[in-house]
Amino acid sequence: MKRMSLIAIAAGFVVLLAALPVLAHHSFAAEFDMNKPVTLVGVVTKVEWMNPHTHFLIDAKDENGKVTNWDLETGSPNALSRRGWTRHSLKEGDLITVDAFRAKDGSNLASARMVKLADGRKVFAGSADDGGPGSTSGTVTPAKQ
Amino acid sequence: MSQQIHSLLFSAAAIAVVSLVSTPSLAQPPGGRGRGAAKDEVALPTPRLPGGKVDFGGKGAWAPIWVLDWADKKWVTQQIDVPFTPAGLALFKERRANNSKDDPEGYCLPAGVPRYTGTPYPFQLIQLPDRVVILYEGASHMYRVIMMDAKHSADPDPSWLGESIGWWEGNDTLVVDTIAFNGRTWLDYVGHPSSESLHVIEKYRRPDFRTMVYETTIEDPKYYTKPWTTSFKVKFEPGWEIKEYVCLENNKDLLHLGTTEPK
Repeated sequence: MKRMSLIAIAAGFVVLLAALPVLAHHSFAAEFDMNKPVTLVGVVTKVEWMNPHTHFLIDAKDENGKVTNWDLETGSPNALSRRGWTRHSLKEGDLITVDAFRAKDGSNLASARMVKLADGRKVFAGSADDGGPGSTSGTVTPAKQ
Repeated sequence: MSQQIHSLLFSAAAIAVVSLVSTPSLAQPPGGRGRGAAKDEVALPTPRLPGGKVDFGGKGAWAPIWVLDWADKKWVTQQIDVPFTPAGLALFKERRANNSKDDPEGYCLPAGVPRYTGTPYPFQLIQLPDRVVILYEGASHMYRVIMMDAKHSADPDPSWLGESIGWWEGNDTLVVDTIAFNGRTWLDYVGHPSSESLHVIEKYRRPDFRTMVYETTIEDPKYYTKPWTTSFKVKFEPGWEIKEYVCLENNKDLLHLGTTEPK
């Protein structure tokens, strides 16, 4: 029951935030794999508040205790700021939880969609109009490869 | 929260969104596609310049959605059976098969005409007596000059945005005719192609303060057997300004898209 209500809350959040336009400039499906969702918990090591996409890097520990530095791509700073983000929303040292999709090339890059910030707020971070999961206007079916 | 539950939660949320946005009543304003004024919003009247012509300005900016496919009614007013030539269809299929990895926009190259109106970056129209200037925030912070009541040059150099001339049909419709493209832009994200022989006619209308109805006709005999016309709505966002967008600043994506050249 608790799980269901959490799902409902999360779904509501995505709908609300995805209704606002987001900037992106490349194909989602060429770069990221919709079939490889990943949830990462880690500490922010760097914030790149730059175009065409804001990136933030985190050190995340796996179940064996091994630490990996992940590069997480989000919407552009222009789009994020129109949705209430600021360049101070994420800071080095913040512990965050991120739902993302991994890059197809197997690198430690992932497209971040939902971010749980240090203060507990959950915010949509992705490029909602990029044809990937959560796109406002519809998704483009990826080619089978 | 365990990773399993979290993944489940996120997957459910993503599915919920995808299913909701595919429901027309939730995703689209009535009477057409795109992001016009919402149904329950009281439509403010069309602003007009002295003399009566439509004023496409105001305090704010036009905020298009990313029209991923200019022929699919998920994004545009009507489904279009695109009249491809064999060469056009072959190139389109190639781009679909590789998920648009070579899209010039991924390289931060200009989106082109008419694609700028369907990329998710705000734009503003500045109307001057002899020209209309469009300022695009998107790839990459470009401007476009439309000379009003002018003639095309005898032999214009090919360029990314081509050479645009404009005129009015009555007081309500701004018509823009553009030629002299370099053939290096795509018409949309899914990869409808264009060549140096592209000729674009755009019609801009503003039926109310927050709604632009944008219509464009694509003529390109290399890739299409006849001209085809598509349209969608664009919403005006009061209070928005266009921001600096230097796409080349940190374009890490090129390292991961699997592309070797824009094509």
